[in-house]
Amino acid sequence: MDLTWSPTDIAFRDEVRAFLKDKLTPELRRAGRLMTSVYSDHEASLQWQAILHERGWAAPAWPVEYGGCDWSLTQHYVFSRESTLAGAPALSPMGIRMVAHAIVAFGTQAQKDFFLPRILTGEVFFCQGYSEPESGSDLASLSMAAVDDGDDLVCTGSKIWTTHAGEANWMFGLVRTSRTAKKQQGITFVLIDMTSPGIQIRPLVMTSGEEIQNQVFFDEVRVPKSNVIGTIDDGWTVAKYLLEFERGGGAHAPALQVMAAEVAAAAASQPGPAGGSLIDDPAFSRKLADARIRTEVLEILEYRVLAALAGGGHPGSASSMLKVLGTELSQALTELAMEAAGPRGRAYQPHATSPGGPVAEFEPPADGYVTGEPWQAVAPLRYFNDRAGSIYAGSNEIQRNILAKAELGL
Amino acid sequence: MDFTLSDEQQLLRDGLTRFLATRYDLEKSRSAAKTGAGWQPEIWRAFADELGILGAAMPEDVGGIGGGPVEVMVIAEALGHALVIEPYVDTAVVAAGLLRRADGGVANALLENVVAGRAIVALAAAEAESGDRWQDAAATARRDGSDWVLDGAKIMVVGAPIATHLLVTARTTGGLSLFCVEVGAAGVELHGYRTIDDRRAADLVLTDLRLPADALLGAEGQAWPSLDLARDEGAAAVCAEAVGGMRRVLADTVEYCKQRQQFGQPIGSFQVLQHRMVDMHMELEQSIAAVYLAVLNLDAEPTARARAVSAAKATIGRAARFIGQNAVQLHGGMGMTEELAIGHYFKRLTVVQYEFGSTDHHVARYAELTKE
Repeated sequence: MDLTWSPTDIAFRDEVRAFLKDKLTPELRRAGRLMTSVYSDHEASLQWQAILHERGWAAPAWPVEYGGCDWSLTQHYVFSRESTLAGAPALSPMGIRMVAHAIVAFGTQAQKDFFLPRILTGEVFFCQGYSEPESGSDLASLSMAAVDDGDDLVCTGSKIWTTHAGEANWMFGLVRTSRTAKKQQGITFVLIDMTSPGIQIRPLVMTSGEEIQNQVFFDEVRVPKSNVIGTIDDGWTVAKYLLEFERGGGAHAPALQVMAAEVAAAAASQPGPAGGSLIDDPAFSRKLADARIRTEVLEILEYRVLAALAGGGHPGSASSMLKVLGTELSQALTELAMEAAGPRGRAYQPHATSPGGPVAEFEPPADGYVTGEPWQAVAPLRYFNDRAGSIYAGSNEIQRNILAKAELGL
Repeated sequence: MDFTLSDEQQLLRDGLTRFLATRYDLEKSRSAAKTGAGWQPEIWRAFADELGILGAAMPEDVGGIGGGPVEVMVIAEALGHALVIEPYVDTAVVAAGLLRRADGGVANALLENVVAGRAIVALAAAEAESGDRWQDAAATARRDGSDWVLDGAKIMVVGAPIATHLLVTARTTGGLSLFCVEVGAAGVELHGYRTIDDRRAADLVLTDLRLPADALLGAEGQAWPSLDLARDEGAAAVCAEAVGGMRRVLADTVEYCKQRQQFGQPIGSFQVLQHRMVDMHMELEQSIAAVYLAVLNLDAEPTARARAVSAAKATIGRAARFIGQNAVQLHGGMGMTEELAIGHYFKRLTVVQYEFGSTDHHVARYAELTKE
């Protein structure tokens, strides 16, 4: 039993660090640091993807034959950890980290040949069409109709919480192809060309003022059957497979460490309620210590899952636990950052941040004035956007349902 | 990065678990605690002779097996799962560690006796005025010829009524020092009592307690670094012990909620209780990880060690409170009785939160250590 990395892993870590030092420009680093949510600025994210692609590291978790890396699990963890610690922009999770895995596992050769290389270059950019206005946590109740018409499915209905629908040129989604007694049956997993006639996008202005999420309307949109992944009516199998990727290979701790260090530095620079600096305020410093303790412990939990996977095990419902712990901790840290930001944290100044999408109804001051430091502008927006953590990818209540059944046999 | 036990460590765990399942009876140990001698000497004898756990983490030259913190973790967790009241952590971890680091004739001889199960040693460090701040002890020791003469008072000396020896902290001209005292020595007044978690402890009054020169353990005035480490070793060990107790308490609670019927269905089918138990499960999983963090850093340099131990003790303190209180809540009135195991475990899980530094103390120490 020990907590040390092997010399091979250390050598790999140094290689990754050298790469990041060399390629991560100050502009990209800035975009990463000033993110207001889990979504980077679209352009910065694509630029970083191109740099990674050149090195062969854009999609390390893919099979090697499609451009993945022949890495051990530890190396995957090290790569993701170092990228986060260095402040690299996040890549959009929808293409590389999600739908690609479904295409690899369930797609035809033609689908693989068309989509996988284009996802890697960024030429194909995916959004996700799962949730509907009436189907949130009860995803399998979804009702967007797909009517069989020769070589096509004709789709009518609407999807919601579609991240980057405006930027994306493809959507992967779930549609209803037949109604049976069991709601999980009769769902089909399709890839939809977003330039098809009949698609309308309505951006949703989030509490942060950003337009990251959208509602997408489909009016008799024709989707060729050649764009079905897996078989018609059996899309739930594909969706369940993908959920495991969505909930994570679980590496929340590095990002949380960065957040905690930022909060600590911020608190050291700000006045405390009773004189001195905020970091010396006993109430604040204990809240921060509590969050950091939880982060240290979460890292060990993530190592344990990693060690189990490396030994041929399966994360199983542990990924549900890591999702709950990671997102709740992240929310606690965004709240502490908000507190540390002080009076300036109440100013709305998205122009000092790197927003995840267009900002609605906002004119920045002509002279670009910003009160305080950029992190103080980021803090409230992150706090608002991070409420999503306990809602997306299966709400934390749904995760607790899963854990009650799987871990406790209830 | 490796979280597996070695073959020897697994054998140790399996052997001890089997022994406790067949030979350690909860009711019998409670009777011993309440109306008997306060412990079961034959169990202690078996710990030494049959299982060898008292020297598992001690070097071979004093009769030990030469293991370390991981062995202590394995043992303490198994003892916690069976709610063992005999003073393993106090004697074989805390006192034994102090004796090993003192490394003198008296210390080594006593340590051999601890490993062999012939001696029980209790640490007398807490005082009424300074509480758990052991470094602020007010008891004094002064030289008189070649002797030492001690005066002062100690409180909550866990294990003292069944101990053969005491390790007593006292202030000398050079700082804090540690002395070895035989129980029954003239000048030691011992007031024994039972603790809320069914152990034996005592308050001590030392009046003109005269000790020979070699009763001083280690260098005069230099005891603090070793005591500081002993406190962290004790904290890490009770963390592992608590994990054993929490495993049992959570398993009992889940089982109870599957069986207990109200409103025509098992209460475990109610989502509000399911989510509570999931939160208990997640607190337990974090505690297991936290114990690894502490145990695998116990030999690190003092700052890294203290930081890891404080993270662990704060985590376990939080978890022991949450799991203990909710286990009682979910058992309803029965959880408050002594008829079910849960009530006994709850008492131990309550005490664990305060031993070797309270939850709040460790959060504050962690905050101090992580200040940039």
